Amino acid sequence: MSACNLETQQLRMPKAGCSLTECEDAIGLNSRGRRFAVADGATEAFDSKTWAKLVTRSWVRVDPPALSVEDFVPLVRDLGARLQSRWKKKSLPWYAEEKARQGSFTAFVGVQFYLAETPKSWKAIAVGDSCLVQKRGQEIVKAFPISDVTLFGSNPILVPSLAPLQDRMAENFATSDGAFEVNDEFLLLTDAVAAWYLDSEKPESSKSLAMSLLASSRYPELENHFQDLRARGEMRNDDVTIVRILVREHA
Amino acid sequence: MPYTAEISRANPTCFVFVIDQSGSMSDSFGSEGAGRKADFVADVVNRTLHDLVIRCTKTEEIRNYYHIAVLGYGGSVQSAFVGSLAGRSLVPVADVAESPARLDVRSKKVPDGAGGLVEHQVRFPVWIDPQTGGGTPMCEALSQAKALVEQWVSEHRSSFPPTILHLTDGESTDGDPTAKGKELLGLSTFDGPVLVFNCHVSSRGSGKLEYPSDGATLPDEFARTLFGISSVLPEGFRKAADQIGVRASEGARGFVFNGDPTSVVQFFEIGTRPANLR
Repeated sequence: MSACNLETQQLRMPKAGCSLTECEDAIGLNSRGRRFAVADGATEAFDSKTWAKLVTRSWVRVDPPALSVEDFVPLVRDLGARLQSRWKKKSLPWYAEEKARQGSFTAFVGVQFYLAETPKSWKAIAVGDSCLVQKRGQEIVKAFPISDVTLFGSNPILVPSLAPLQDRMAENFATSDGAFEVNDEFLLLTDAVAAWYLDSEKPESSKSLAMSLLASSRYPELENHFQDLRARGEMRNDDVTIVRILVREHA
Repeated sequence: MPYTAEISRANPTCFVFVIDQSGSMSDSFGSEGAGRKADFVADVVNRTLHDLVIRCTKTEEIRNYYHIAVLGYGGSVQSAFVGSLAGRSLVPVADVAESPARLDVRSKKVPDGAGGLVEHQVRFPVWIDPQTGGGTPMCEALSQAKALVEQWVSEHRSSFPPTILHLTDGESTDGDPTAKGKELLGLSTFDGPVLVFNCHVSSRGSGKLEYPSDGATLPDEFARTLFGISSVLPEGFRKAADQIGVRASEGARGFVFNGDPTSVVQFFEIGTRPANLR
């Protein structure tokens, strides 16, 4: 049996009209632990960029991995309390204080790989509409938690920072798992790019171009490509985040 | 497709509240012993402004997604803002956020986490005070709204078009408002015509008619006049109505006749829902 490792590329791109510092998507990478995540902070929520960052970066580091609702809810409860206390220390204007009281929200998807197992496997969790896609050659083996593009654009239940709302999130906590092979490709995608990528009516040539630019780390060209798609109305103008994970045979 | 423009700092949208402050607004509203119509409406407008500010709050920064005017009409037609915004017409939402006339403290019942309610003290920002007096110069009010909106659309051609939320409790005392209303409805951005929504309120508490699609069902000429200068609710607004349990069928106009206090709250909630914020 061949040994393998994971090669990653990533792109984080703000919505048109915003700067990268305003991008509310976040990435968590733990290459040694083979755990990866993306999160999409809710545009209308308070400080959602910080919340998305806190959830992804903590989730990829926590040991043992929080792959069940029983482990995930206590993790986000602690993180939410930490965020709330950070806000309380600041002197906020009335409107920020008011909005902070409503808490923050983020979509989240994370995946853990097990390279030493036979067969090699992965486990993923998701809350909301950020997605994991597993590809083998040109074929999509799995799209999780959404595979039907018509389901994007609804109001998904997200990961809230406020403890009283976190119980409701538990009802919408999704898990998945599967096996993988060498040369399989995994994509973690926030919703706008996921909706475009999973839409069978969008040209395959455009998707292949995007993936090849990502694979070769040609990020400026990839950003131009996405900007063109937005300008043509083929992709919603939203923050775009992609983490590509390629399973490579160990040399 | 109209009414799909993204609302961003580069392409903000605009809300113009046109509020009847005539003498009859001092009559009571709703059940016996209820407060005055003017007090209730001022509270709802302040609450709506609060919600618009909160929607634009990003951490400690306010993003100028909206420009907002509040016109009051009664003895005269003028900006209804009080405090440091007094006299100003269209104000960016960040300035609205920074400049309430005062922060009142109100009691609010909130869930206690154990199935009950507990009273909390909350801050209630105030930008307009209830005013009453004089007649109902609706034509002049719509004329001033048109002047504001005309200027605004000429400067924001790609924006989601302005929304005019007009509330009155009686007939115009300065003529038929149809022509002025039609002039407003004739303004547009590349994203579609200006939206005009009308809410007529009544102290009687009967004969309420909400978001009709057919003018033939209306009880009198005045109702038909307001119906005639009310926009058809775009899909996003109908969805917003649906979310709060208000039925608005396809073709429904943004129009309420003989509205009660609940209608007023819902009218402002539905009318301020273009939510495609970026």
